Amino acid sequence: MPGAAPVSVVRAPTLGRWVFLLVPLLVLPVPFLVNRYIQYVLNLILVYVLVGVGFNIVIGNLGQLAFANVALFGLGAYASGILVVHAGWPWWTTIVPAGLIGALAGILASLPALRRIRLFYLAIMTMAFGELLRWIYIRAEPLTNGSMGLAVPPPMLLGLRLASDRSKFYVFLVLVVVVVLLTSSLLRSRFGRAFMAIRDNELAAAAMGIPTDRYFILAFAWSGFVVGVAGAMYTALVGHVTPEAFNLLELILHFAVVMVGGLASLAGSVIGAIVLTTTPELFRSFPGVQELVLSFVVIGVLLFLPRGLVSLLARRWPVFHERYYRE
Amino acid sequence: MALLELDDVTVRYGGLTAVAGVSLSLDPGEVLAIIGPNGAGKTTLFNAITGHTTLSAGAIRFRAERIDGLAPYLVSAKGVRRTFQNGGLFGELTALENVLAGLHTQVPTGFFGVLFGMPAARATERAATSRARGLLELMGIGHLADQPARELSGGQQRMVEIVRALATRPPLLLLDEPAVGLAPAVREQLLGVIRRLVREEGIAVVLIEHAIEFVMTVSDRIVVLNDGKVIADGTPAEVPRNREVLEAYLGH
Repeated sequence: MPGAAPVSVVRAPTLGRWVFLLVPLLVLPVPFLVNRYIQYVLNLILVYVLVGVGFNIVIGNLGQLAFANVALFGLGAYASGILVVHAGWPWWTTIVPAGLIGALAGILASLPALRRIRLFYLAIMTMAFGELLRWIYIRAEPLTNGSMGLAVPPPMLLGLRLASDRSKFYVFLVLVVVVVLLTSSLLRSRFGRAFMAIRDNELAAAAMGIPTDRYFILAFAWSGFVVGVAGAMYTALVGHVTPEAFNLLELILHFAVVMVGGLASLAGSVIGAIVLTTTPELFRSFPGVQELVLSFVVIGVLLFLPRGLVSLLARRWPVFHERYYRE
Repeated sequence: MALLELDDVTVRYGGLTAVAGVSLSLDPGEVLAIIGPNGAGKTTLFNAITGHTTLSAGAIRFRAERIDGLAPYLVSAKGVRRTFQNGGLFGELTALENVLAGLHTQVPTGFFGVLFGMPAARATERAATSRARGLLELMGIGHLADQPARELSGGQQRMVEIVRALATRPPLLLLDEPAVGLAPAVREQLLGVIRRLVREEGIAVVLIEHAIEFVMTVSDRIVVLNDGKVIADGTPAEVPRNREVLEAYLGH
């Protein structure tokens, strides 16, 4: 076109796939430097990384106020626990089934949204779904052992007993790397772009040939899978699954992981999981102060960094801007 | 053969008839402007064509095939693409990602191929990216590729939206008020783009526009809508002399 600005071919910097290997490599020696308590907290962080990554797909990338995340997490945890306790499956074989149960529940949670029930209506419906499940965990005593909770023996991996938190750490790390890598691949494709196109302008997305309903279901399903896997990890970590672990307070924590880290950001989910898991632990010796500090962290971050802590990094290092294509 | 045919198209919302029995046809490579006062049913007519609104009566044929009743994504896949009145870009996505989203149906990657980063899927994605970059560069806005759409100026957004709609090389493009709010120089540029599309690619264009000089220069034919009905259909030379049109616009 005449008079057009000269074409510059400056490519936006992107995080290469090597990051997904480098970061885990750097943390490999960590278990040998910390005590058992810190090791437990690190394991918990890994669980919450997947909790955040999964939740972020629905609220960050797809942009839906769907709060079924604790339901998905609880179902994954119970599915894993029940398969181990009642069916005698080794823990590692329950990871994928827990993910699939989460995916199914995710699809179920997407149905009201497909019928154009959105925003506050979707929010309250999906929260009710979580509470309903908690009631079921309590009532389905033969399977779940009711409000006493289900005691699950130490996880087994290919005949090995993962008795120590250190051994669990390495298994969790592999799981987190694999699931985050898969999620990143999905988001950096036409699938991920379709999620965000729907979020930003659903009518225009349809006008671009995107079958929006199908991508709605897919986003919820993948979100459910990721969070279901996190549930299986949670079962392996704590060894005792109780209905109380999946209440509304837990939902607020999940929400905070995503918001504090940064909406629609994989790196943000990791940061959110680290901050939200460690903050209460730092103040464990001061009862009552924990919740206070946590609240201030959430309020402070969202007040000054509405796009989460990751926006702070992105301002300084543009590579933290996620790109949704390959070249 | 006509590219697009509207046959007695009617759209009612409750008691209101937004489009009342509109019939018109469009040839390949033709530029048709739809003008008319606010509330005349212009955008509703677009929505009816693209499947965003269901018809109460009538039929729409594209390349002799019925498209009314199809979901918008299917109409789009048949080759009817559009832009939106108030800007339909995906605000948080970059210009490049917007164009890539526009190419959605032409990036035939499967779920598992993408998930596991299979070489074929990645090659397809990379090819789409370079194609999208090429399209932006062709329109002289390659330098905007990595900017989030919401940070672009109004004129730049309009250009990106047109590139996005054209990415699949559709035979028919619907532009909803493309020139509104644009500076004269940008308007001139847009005019050049539309002319080039028609001349070089043979794309047919239907545009809704209020800027009358713009309409006069760009279109082969003008259709005037008032109260959901076609009150005039003719060349830019004929239409302004039509008595009904003068009445609709000047109110006497």
